[in-house]
Amino acid sequence: MKYAIEVQDLVKRYPNSEKNAVDGISFTVTPGEFFGFLGPNGAGKSTTINMLVNLIKPTSGVVKIAGFDVQHQPDEVYKRVGFAMQEIGLDETATAREMMQLHARLYHLPTENMDKKINDLLEMVELLPVADKYTSTYSGGMKRRFDLALSLIHEPKVLFLDEPTVGLDPHARQLIWKHLKELNKKGMTILLTTHFMEEAEQLCDRIAIVDQGKMVTEGTPKELMKEHKADSIEEVFLKVTGHSLGADEINQHAQDPFSRALPK
Amino acid sequence: MNTFFADWFYLSIRNIKQIWRPLLAFVPNFFIPIFFFATNAVSFQAVSKLPGFPTDSYLNFIAPTAIFTSVFFATSNIGIELVLDIASGYFKKLTIMPVNRLAIILARLSEAAVLALIQGSVVLILVLLLGVKIATGFWGVVVMFLILMIFAMGWSCIGLIAALRTQNPRMVQSLFILVFPFQYLTTSQMPIELLPRGFAMAVKLNPVTYILEATRSLMLGSWSDAAINQGLMVAVATCVIMVTLTLLSYRKALK
Repeated sequence: MKYAIEVQDLVKRYPNSEKNAVDGISFTVTPGEFFGFLGPNGAGKSTTINMLVNLIKPTSGVVKIAGFDVQHQPDEVYKRVGFAMQEIGLDETATAREMMQLHARLYHLPTENMDKKINDLLEMVELLPVADKYTSTYSGGMKRRFDLALSLIHEPKVLFLDEPTVGLDPHARQLIWKHLKELNKKGMTILLTTHFMEEAEQLCDRIAIVDQGKMVTEGTPKELMKEHKADSIEEVFLKVTGHSLGADEINQHAQDPFSRALPK
Repeated sequence: MNTFFADWFYLSIRNIKQIWRPLLAFVPNFFIPIFFFATNAVSFQAVSKLPGFPTDSYLNFIAPTAIFTSVFFATSNIGIELVLDIASGYFKKLTIMPVNRLAIILARLSEAAVLALIQGSVVLILVLLLGVKIATGFWGVVVMFLILMIFAMGWSCIGLIAALRTQNPRMVQSLFILVFPFQYLTTSQMPIELLPRGFAMAVKLNPVTYILEATRSLMLGSWSDAAINQGLMVAVATCVIMVTLTLLSYRKALK
């Protein structure tokens, strides 16, 4: 397997939109690489990451994960990817242990050692003492840590993280960084989106910055700082995405949420 | 194929646990069916004296309606639970697992079937305590619940489709009102022979009528009543058509 992630000319245009949300993005990530995918709000990061895991169908383009085409071999892809999403998405009527048991079964993992594996993962994120509590009782940081453990239950080859440390206190953030570094050290490929430039600089081997649906720069943190004559990734980010922030915040291409209330 | 049934089973267990988590959300489901049954049985007793009314007791006539109502109301929660899963992001997690999407849908509908069984059983016990007899005996009860559970699965798809298409909890919740026209444009209150002609035509076009009539035949009639087979066929057809439409909505939701 040459690439863990291979993206070619990826385009997404939402219905009723006059502009592409993702406009011809191409990149590759090698196995074991920690790849940062940065951009301002509304740049197309989440749309891209959702297409990489087949949650949104691309308008055109090809995505391969661990050598499997996302469109044509989705089950092979699902077995190999983990996804810790921005919105966390826990079943709040279940305990952490129940959720992990269910996910292990849905990934069709062997039942022997399942309990040990669940305990190990919960211990890793320091949640073993509350394993049998409902997830609705967890703090924001606990939910994020649990979500990370949950996304690792099937030992994915590629882990997608969409802003995994948003809303966390420094202690919880450091803890997640530590786990991510360990996982990457063991050979896991990680694609991370974040708004914390320090996080990207600390963790990522290579960074791509997208803006208005297009990739505007890509390279190692050192290469990017040299190329853009900047002292930090934050400075690079501001230089390459230095247009009016107001246009992003308005997010002119977003669908009217209330039009969705009527089936089309 | 083995994994399909295993996935359906484990997801069903997860969804069924949601019925009583929290317990307080489960209890009110019994109130309206029992309330309707009590008020109708008392206030319409004189109707049973009308010429052509099939039984001497309005209580007996309305008992199948009470059981059906409790099952019908059981279908209203399923769409809400799906839309909550969508809103929280949990549904995305399920979608990117190597799990058959039909298993995800059927697991939600299994919850509807179990809820229908629980709610219907409570009301059945109540009507038995009030002296209503089941003409077709134990196996009649089994077939009655089979028909009601299949129908509950099919009808619950309306909530699932709304959840997948709109992802809007208020929209899904508002569809609950569909229960009332579909329930009252039936023979729930009066036999078809005593209904005005135009009303009776609308009643015959309503699939819910056939489910209710099958329930009534199993409780008050006999195994030879054609309404039993008709009810079973309508329940199965409703379920197959609605599950297909739900799967299409699922596919569309990911575009």
